[in-house]
Formats: sequence, C-alpha cells, structure tokens
Amino acid sequence: MGRYEIFATTADAGIRFQGRDFAELYGNALRGLNLLLFGRNSRPPAGGGSRRFRFRGDGPENVLVNLLSEALFLVYHEGKRVAASEFRHAGRNSVDARLLLAPLTRAPAMEVKSATYHDLRVEQRGGILSAAVVLDI
Amino acid sequence: MNYLAGRFEEIAPCRWRLGRDADRAMAADAEVFATRDILQQALADDSIAQVVNVACLPGLVGRSLAMPDIHHGYGFCIGGVAAFPAADGIVLPGGVGYDINCGVRLLSSSIPAADFAAAAEGVGHAILQRIPTGLTQRSLYRLGRKEFQRVLAGGVGEIVRNFGGDAGDREFIESGGCLPFDSPAIISPKACQRGSSQLGSLGSGNHFIEVQAVEEVFDAPAARLFGLQPDHVVVMIHTGSRGFGHQVASDYIETFRKRNLGRQKLRDPQLVHAAVGSAEGRNYLQALNAASNFAWANRQLLQEEVVDILEKALSMGRERLGLRLLYDQAHNIAKFETHEVEGRKVELLVHRKGATRAFPPGHPDLASPYRAVGQPVIIPGSMGSSSYVLRGTARAAALTFASSAHGAGRRLSRHQAVKAAAREDVSQRLRNKGILVFSLSSQGLKEEIPEAYKDIDDVVTATVAAGISERVARLRPLLVVKG
Repeated sequence: MGRYEIFATTADAGIRFQGRDFAELYGNALRGLNLLLFGRNSRPPAGGGSRRFRFRGDGPENVLVNLLSEALFLVYHEGKRVAASEFRHAGRNSVDARLLLAPLTRAPAMEVKSATYHDLRVEQRGGILSAAVVLDI
Repeated sequence: MNYLAGRFEEIAPCRWRLGRDADRAMAADAEVFATRDILQQALADDSIAQVVNVACLPGLVGRSLAMPDIHHGYGFCIGGVAAFPAADGIVLPGGVGYDINCGVRLLSSSIPAADFAAAAEGVGHAILQRIPTGLTQRSLYRLGRKEFQRVLAGGVGEIVRNFGGDAGDREFIESGGCLPFDSPAIISPKACQRGSSQLGSLGSGNHFIEVQAVEEVFDAPAARLFGLQPDHVVVMIHTGSRGFGHQVASDYIETFRKRNLGRQKLRDPQLVHAAVGSAEGRNYLQALNAASNFAWANRQLLQEEVVDILEKALSMGRERLGLRLLYDQAHNIAKFETHEVEGRKVELLVHRKGATRAFPPGHPDLASPYRAVGQPVIIPGSMGSSSYVLRGTARAAALTFASSAHGAGRRLSRHQAVKAAAREDVSQRLRNKGILVFSLSSQGLKEEIPEAYKDIDDVVTATVAAGISERVARLRPLLVVKG
C-alpha cells in the first residue's frame, strides 16, 4: 500500500491510509478521500479560504470519522474541497488543524453519505499507523 | 464467516436458520430468507457476519433476520430486520442507515403505454431539466428556517398545504407521511443547513425516477385494487432524506458513541446503540421522525413535479390521466409497531435497513381499500430490468415482523461495475432494448448497470417461495432518469 488508496465493498467504497504519526495519518485520510471523489490527477485551484477544525474524542477512529465528516460537509454543502491540511496538533484523541480549501471545479465522482465506523481500527505496526474507513455511498 | 456455511439449515423453502450455538456471542438465532445461491453470495460477501453481529445485540426479540436482497452493509447488513422491545429495548442508528426513510413511491395511471411512447423522450428531458439530480444541483425549493421546521414537523401534510397536491395521498403513505416531531432543538444546525437546500431533489447513486408499464398481472383482484392495468403506465420514484438524513444519522451515532460506547461490547462499533428510554435514545427517535418526514415531503414534491410534466406532455389533467398514488413505502427506518410474539401482542421497535414493511390483509394500519389484500410491497429491479409489486402476507407477519425485500441488492461493487461497462455506451444498450435513459453522469450509469445487481427474479422468487409476500404484477421500464 502507498500512503493512501481506495477500495471497494459490494455496496460501498472505502479509503485505506497510513502515516508515521497521527498528523500524517489524518492528512492521508483527507488525501484518500480526495482520490476517491476527484481522481488522481486533479489539482485544486487555490482561493477557497480555510477552516479551522478542532475535535476531541475517544480515540483516533473517532477523530478520523469526524475529520472526514467535516470534509464531506464542505464538499456537498459548501462546494469546497480540502486542498491541504496543516496540523497544529494531531494526537490519538484530538486534533487541531487548518484546512486549506479550494472551490470545486467539477462535481465529485459520487455522493458519499457518511464516513462510518464499520470495522474501523487504527493499528500500529513497525512504527506505522494505518486504518481503513468504509464510506457509505 | 465461511465456517458458518455448513451450519445453516433450510427449515422451509428459502428459509435458512442459523442456530445461536453457531457462535457463542449470539443471543438469538438468525434467519435468512434466500435461495441457496443468494445465501452463498451472502456468506461470500460477509453479510452473514453482520446478521450474526445483530443476533448478539441485547434484547433482540425473535431472530436476527435478513431478506432475500441481503448484501453487505456497515454494521447491519442491507436487507436486515431486527426488533427490540418498545418500552425497554434499544435503538440503533446502524439498523436504519444513513439515508433515513429512503423509500419508493409508485403512482398508477390510466395512460396506455402506447400513448406514452410518443411523449417519452420529451418527458425524460423535462424531468432531467426540472428536477435536481446528481451532485451539483440543489433543490426545487429553498426554504427559510421556519418553513423548514414546519416541513420536519408536518411531512407530506405541510407540502400539500403549501405546494399543492392531493391531501388524500396521505392515506397511501406509510404512517400518513408524518411521524410525530416537535423538538427542533435536537436537530443540529448542520443537518438543517444540508436539508433546507436539498428539499425537492433526487440525489445520486441508485436513486431514480422511472416510468414503467405493467407487463404482467399475477393477482388480478389485488392489481385492480392497486389500480394496476396491463400495458398501462406507472411512475416509480426512489429517493430519501438526502443530506439531512445523512447528517442526522452521523450526529446521533456520535452522540450514542460518546454516551454508550465504553459500556457496550460490540463486534462492530457501527452497531452502537442506546436504550429507547434514555435521553439520547428518545432524541434520536425524534430526529429519525423528522428525517422520515423530510423524505416523505421530498418524494411528494418530486411526485407533483413529475405529474405536472406528464400533464403538459400529454395535454391532459391528472384526473384524466388517472394518476394516483398507489403507495409510498420506507425501506430504511425504525418504527413502533404491534406484533404477535409467541402468542402475545407486543409493542416493538422494528428496525428495517433495506427492507420493506409488508403488513398482511386486514391490518388496521393499512389504507382501507387495501385491507382486503395486504400492503403493496414495491420491489424495484436494477436499471433496465423489471420491477415488481407484491403484497404483504400473514406469513410475513408471523415470520419477519411483517417485512419483505426492498430491491435487487448489489452484486458487484461500483468499481467492478464501471470496469465491466468501461467500453460500453450503457444508455445506448438500454435504448436498444426500448428503454430511454437520462442521467447527468455517464459514470453513474456504468455504476448502475443491470449486471451490478442480483437478478430481481431470484429475489422475488425467494420472497414468494418463503411466503413473505405474494406477486401482484411485474413492471417493465420505459423511461429511466438516474440521479
């Protein structure tokens, strides 16, 4: 696996990603979501402003679902995608990030209803954190 | 879960039981209503594991059930049915799904299919032009905060009052198109933002508007009561609560998680739940009602738009076209219902995720014209294949908490479907079969190719063989507008 990739289930789709620390793990989750929605070669234009995302939860799975849910809200309600992310803090239970946004120049490839907790577990092996999130399509 | 393959026993045609001794965490038996082939597919795609996980939940009444269109979901399988005591049981958002009250609405008509053929192309263009579909467009109506709150509380009634339509339609909608909701404060601002800009929109994925013809009638008395005439047109609308329902579900999964996850031993965190009587349980049930009302209102608005398009295209009013609502049914919902369990009438909270309510003849909650034959059960096929109208049975009431299948059920992932149709003009293939297809997304059409779904005939065969519904009529697509 690279830093992030997409996978399919019968009815849904998902993203698999990894990182050397939580900042990289969370950032790659957002990149994986962009890959699913906008494809590999899409370069977003700048100029969509930024959004601060702060969340404290019960574990990295909880952080991931809420971070991805925020990204989905931005796409489907505000017409913006997360072009880049800067993490002021990224830990097991919490995150404080600046999401740099770009206006959508084309429609996403599909409508993702939500990020789910289905079989979601952040695992650490050999110093690498990894997870897979199933998205309800 | 293949280790379970040999543990299923076919206790009646298309009725497979998995005893609770198959897995030591199971608190109840599981039953899958399926042909042998469908059961094998369910074992292969791990949806049986999800049926087993539901059988491990506390307080489950009867068995963990799966309908013949079973396929892999998240937490709960699609096609899953589970009931819990209404007074002191649990409620789980994962047993409803994110698209709360996703459902199907069917209109019957006295339009001969041959008369519609000449207008079909224009009707398809008009639907695509007027009704927001897919991902980029928004809604027929953008509502202010107060108007939006009134729709959440009033459902279809509010739409009929403000946007027109027939108040009599309510009799032919589950729960009259309105469940009790009077607590706007329990809905998040985000949900309201998403909802107020999406009321009156079809959405994407497997959502659609189809004009179909009645191809074959199996049960003439029931078909007559339902207004189904051979070779006449019907209109089918499949959509749900859009981003509003998605946000409500996400919000309450988070709330349940915060309050309860640490105390629950779950194989899948998507099955997080709350006591019906807890504050979060009560609030979720209210929010679920609001999202259900949104979905019914949404389908009502789309119906009125399609009726207007047909009136203009055929230069006749709705009365002369004989357009009337046959039925509107939810297939992602949890509702309080009375069922007989071990000879006693009990109040239950029945969760149906990708499953249709199928009340038997005589049920008091049915529209009076349908009490003689049972509830219409609408089972759409895949794009380009037949759909069916069935009716509920006493056997469904006895075996499945009056539940039945809801559709064909996916067989291929979207990725596999796109790959299979990579070099194909899907629209042209269907046009060659006499089916006009309209969509803003060629990718979306490829994802929805007929081969991506189980054969609807297999699903209906299993449903009928198990006795949980009876065939009334088969419908043939003439025009498909995909979201």
